[in-house]
Amino acid sequence: MGTAFAFDLEKCTECERCMLACATVKVGHVQLLQSRIAIERRWPELPGIRVCRFDDCAGHPCIASCPAEAISDARGTVLIDGDACTGCEACVEECPFEAIFMRDGIAKKCDFCAGDPECARACVTVAIAKKEA
Amino acid sequence: MPGSMYDTLVRIDCTGRKAGAARVDQELASYIGGMGYGTKILLDEVDPSIDPLSEKNKIILSVGPLTGTAAPMFPQACIVTKSPLTGTILNCYAGGFLGAEIKFCGIDGVILEGKAPEWSLVLVEDDRVSFHSALLVMGKGTADTELYMKEKFGPEVKTLSIGRAGENAVAMASIFSETRTFGRGGAGAVLGSKRIKGMAFRGTRGVDVADRKTFAELTSRNIEVLKAACREEFNLVGMFSRVGTGAGMGLVNSHGALATRNHEYGAFPEGSEIDGYAYAKKYYTRAISCFGCPVHCGMLHKFRKRDNTESWLRGPEYETMFSLGSDLLNKDPVTLAEANQLCEDYGMDTLTVGVTMAWAFEMAGKGILKDPDLSLSFGDSDSILGLIRKIGEREGLGDLLAQGPRAAAEKTGKGSMGAAMQVKNSGFAAWMPRRMKGVALAFATSNRGACHKRAPIGDEIMGKLDMDSYEGKAPIVRSIQDTVNAIFTLVACRFHEFVAPKELYPQFLEAATGRTLSLDEFVRVGERIWNLERLFNAGAGMSRRDDTLPDRCFEPIKGDASKGAVIVREKFEAMLDEYYAVRGWTRDGIPTRDTLERLGIGKYAGRGA
Repeated sequence: MGTAFAFDLEKCTECERCMLACATVKVGHVQLLQSRIAIERRWPELPGIRVCRFDDCAGHPCIASCPAEAISDARGTVLIDGDACTGCEACVEECPFEAIFMRDGIAKKCDFCAGDPECARACVTVAIAKKEA
Repeated sequence: MPGSMYDTLVRIDCTGRKAGAARVDQELASYIGGMGYGTKILLDEVDPSIDPLSEKNKIILSVGPLTGTAAPMFPQACIVTKSPLTGTILNCYAGGFLGAEIKFCGIDGVILEGKAPEWSLVLVEDDRVSFHSALLVMGKGTADTELYMKEKFGPEVKTLSIGRAGENAVAMASIFSETRTFGRGGAGAVLGSKRIKGMAFRGTRGVDVADRKTFAELTSRNIEVLKAACREEFNLVGMFSRVGTGAGMGLVNSHGALATRNHEYGAFPEGSEIDGYAYAKKYYTRAISCFGCPVHCGMLHKFRKRDNTESWLRGPEYETMFSLGSDLLNKDPVTLAEANQLCEDYGMDTLTVGVTMAWAFEMAGKGILKDPDLSLSFGDSDSILGLIRKIGEREGLGDLLAQGPRAAAEKTGKGSMGAAMQVKNSGFAAWMPRRMKGVALAFATSNRGACHKRAPIGDEIMGKLDMDSYEGKAPIVRSIQDTVNAIFTLVACRFHEFVAPKELYPQFLEAATGRTLSLDEFVRVGERIWNLERLFNAGAGMSRRDDTLPDRCFEPIKGDASKGAVIVREKFEAMLDEYYAVRGWTRDGIPTRDTLERLGIGKYAGRGA
């Protein structure tokens, strides 16, 4: 079983229910700043989705960029150890998908919700889903 | 108990360019939020007899207990102010993402007062307010103004703005928020009178609810209801989710209820060339949602303009397909889209603009009005687009029309008043009072004028109610006005109530705030607001004579499709009498002391006298 999302941007209506669901699972209530996924509106063109691509990201440059070795690849799930993060923002610069966000001085990213991402469950149009291996 | 409201409003003094927090007291909190807050504050703080464009007017921009939560279809923000178009109290709404962002600022809304010494942009970051020069965006359209604010304040801000119409005090000027519109009643002119060109909001706070578990369950249930509705072929909300609000035009047309050529006819044979299906078939179409909404009725279209350049539009919406389409005999989807774009750029209500132009075209045909540059003929693209520009600029004939259909007819005379399709100077929404008698009563008695949001449209057009009958319409209209006012305290999208069970509203309210109300008590809040609005209007000098319809409504609709549908004046007056009786109002349409006391607002008795 791999770790990756399948996107269908034509289906994305930019409702942000993915962000709402992500924030709720992370901090218990709706605070979009805490969402690890972000929808970027680019009207009239299709939106951008800022979230970690996991298996679909070649080489995981964030891992090598971290001087504190706070980022690891746990069988496909790239994770940031918040306690080890020094807040240097090197990974934010390095991420090709702009999927790492600084919050309260610590780098945050999607953790794939232990294999069952809430954002995909919340997406009504199935614009974002878990990629089947 | 911690809940989904912050119980704080920010009072912004434009004159002194300063702001301060105002706590929501228990009495105000009993109005729930949104339209309830706005109405109560305007009643308490603004003299109904003021000039709406004077610095004594206020704008209350507020949200409700479900705004910014996971509950679906509560994205809208509400504005209440005194309308320069109608002279009544006005409530109007815009969807999109502004409402949620206001809540994310940790506030329930703002109260704008006074008049800025120079044209300004207002930035609200959490509860901090700052004023910035609007010099570089003066004269710009709404989209350019919002783009400028995003460049200046950051791409993530959520904005509202006015265009040239609001700057020029056009009575039908709207406030835009990223293509969503506080459309009706001229709120854009009020914002302009305060010399505020735009506002931007950026919030970092979260929105919690009192009972997370119950709230999550209600949300899931509601999402399932909406998903089921979206799967149904003939469910209106389902049709909206597929092609937008323009989905229903064929149905309305088939009933001879589609207002055509300034409401002379009830069917537009070319309707299928400009409805939602036509746009979806002809142009690249992508569905766009408001915050958290699974219905996604906003349709973004790419098209080529008349000059063959590429362009795009999120819309047009159904109401605009009537006002800039069938009512003007405009069967060209490109002209319709460009007309919509122009209204958006100038920042104007497509409804009242279109309705006023339809009246002008008819009067031009009769030789009563003319223009040096435009033929003013129905269906003529150059006339449609040219006249919109003139209204936005208040140039020539446009200056007359910019004051609204009744005001224009008053100045024009020559028997033109009967064909000005308006109530209280607000242009008709896309529905024919003659064809639907509940709509007739709803338009006439609307506190903001010719309002379709509180009319039994769905039940009449779908045949649940006999649309030609006057019987029983008075209590039905009263009930829908009260219910819709109640859901506008939350602030719900009007379409939510089409499919959601009503019990959901008090259930959501309780889970969000901890406040327990029965469904009846919840609807009574709406009734209380309706009566307060009425008192404000009475204080502005209005009464029964304003609860009426133009003469054209008392003549049969032309053409076979509408079967000669007409309103009989005596029956209309009897329906109005019955309506006042079920409301507990005098025969002149004013709430009695007993009624106000029954609603717990006895202290306002005498305000409208």
